[in-house]
Amino acid sequence: MGGRVIRVLGGVLPLALGLVFVSVLVFAVLGAFSPVGTAIGTDGWVPEHPAWGNVTAPFDIAPFGTYFKNSVVVGISVTILNVLTCTAAGYSFSKYEFPGRRVGFTVVLATLMVPLEVLYVPLYNIVYDLGWVNSFAGLIIPAGTSAFGIFLMKQAIDSVPNELMEAARIDGAGELRTLVSVVVPGITGPMSALALFVFMTNWDSHLWPLLVASDDAHRTLPVGLAAMQANNQGSAGAPVLLMAALLAVLPTVVLFLALQKRFVEGVAMTAGIK
Amino acid sequence: MRRSEPVRVLAAPRARTRQRGMRRRTAAGVGFALPAVVLLAVFAIYPIAQVFALSFFDYNLTSPPEYVGSGNYEFLASDPRFTDALTQTLIYTLGTYVPALVLALCLAQVLSSRHLGSGLTRLMFFLPVAISWVAASIIWRVVLSPDGPLNQILHVDVNWLTSSAAAPWALILMSVWKETGFFLILFLAGLLGIPGDVYEAARLDGANAWQRMRYVTLPLLRPMTAVCVVTATLRGFQSFSPQVVMTGGSFGTEVVNLFVYKTAFESARMGRASAVAVLMFFLLVAIAMVQMAALRKAD
Repeated sequence: MGGRVIRVLGGVLPLALGLVFVSVLVFAVLGAFSPVGTAIGTDGWVPEHPAWGNVTAPFDIAPFGTYFKNSVVVGISVTILNVLTCTAAGYSFSKYEFPGRRVGFTVVLATLMVPLEVLYVPLYNIVYDLGWVNSFAGLIIPAGTSAFGIFLMKQAIDSVPNELMEAARIDGAGELRTLVSVVVPGITGPMSALALFVFMTNWDSHLWPLLVASDDAHRTLPVGLAAMQANNQGSAGAPVLLMAALLAVLPTVVLFLALQKRFVEGVAMTAGIK
Repeated sequence: MRRSEPVRVLAAPRARTRQRGMRRRTAAGVGFALPAVVLLAVFAIYPIAQVFALSFFDYNLTSPPEYVGSGNYEFLASDPRFTDALTQTLIYTLGTYVPALVLALCLAQVLSSRHLGSGLTRLMFFLPVAISWVAASIIWRVVLSPDGPLNQILHVDVNWLTSSAAAPWALILMSVWKETGFFLILFLAGLLGIPGDVYEAARLDGANAWQRMRYVTLPLLRPMTAVCVVTATLRGFQSFSPQVVMTGGSFGTEVVNLFVYKTAFESARMGRASAVAVLMFFLLVAIAMVQMAALRKAD
């Protein structure tokens, strides 16, 4: 009897709570289509006359298209750089012997424990000295590798048998060829999980872009959205801001829905490191 | 290597070729690691060293740094704004992540079995994870506005984001919504590692749902719980976007990360901001060590 009550509650409570969680997003979607200039809800929570034109409104009140393009450019560049540098470094730390390898890997792991919060003041000085403030270089290059990515790729490559690589070498393959044609095909799963995780994290990145790219030409979506919010305090602009926020998360939500399993894998993998 | 043993006896030139091969392999190994290591050295390790050095200087980016000894630390020790930021960070971190972790753990326990609708329910909690902090903050600003849906549904008239009594809790509410799914993913992954027959055995022994949680799930999940607790602390202490977008740090919501940002980039006090970063570094390391020790001792 008690068991059945618990089982029913176990099924119903999470669903009810889940609906509460989702209702926030449902409200955001409905609000984004409510008429601009009146408080949301005046036209009913489900707007009687949906303002379909709101879809383009963010592009009219701010360089939203540029923010979007910048986020795409930076996100893709950072993702490609991370996959390349982390795979190469993970391969090196996993399969090669050279002086300093152990120390090097330990130092890489140590940087995992240091949050951006501790780093960004001197990091900004460095990027400032390099002349990379308000440039794509400042957004992309410091984020071009990650200790956790190196660790993930090393873990993945550890499980690739050495015999496969030896066989490739006997066939005359060079070092790079061996990596590309023998190792990489065996670790496409972890590689794509890493790529997805890096892209989504970068899409969310706010503090660093705010420091190094505060002009309209280089602003990414989080920085641009926050600026739009700061410039449109009144509730009259709320539908447009909601629309902008929803358009901004569309790529990651679609990616997430399409690749949910990979994403879960990626988050779970990040847990394996600490 | 060992496989090619018979080849080695053939001739001396082979050995030389192999030696050259080894050197080439060493070079390749270093070469593969180099791009990542150089990037980390310049953009992670060097800044760590610099943050310690900078904390002893007064520096505003334009004029040369001036050595002030422990001046920055002494200033912080008597700065009520810093103490408030630290307190607010602790409240935010505990207020957000204790409920988020407990909720995620309970949900994981229920949703780990693949019954009808569990995939859909999971998705409802996962979605906020795919939404960026700034976008989520903008959405919640509207939700929490005086004439917004929350006040209307609850039939109350609370200034969620413009009163010191409510603003810290409004940020916590939004953050629990945003973060529960992240830890749900981690706990679900942890539960996958527990073999189903352990539960079967517990059930056969007559253990009820609570006892299975208490005596099977929690002990076996302990490594994952440790990871989650340490990760949650790091995330809590790094919180920045919701405070910036939803309150701008007003109404008692200025957390340490926002304090560092304002000190460094609005007041141009790089040295003082670095001193805060150094203190945060030691605080976070100390907290992580205590957490790991506590979760290990419980065995």
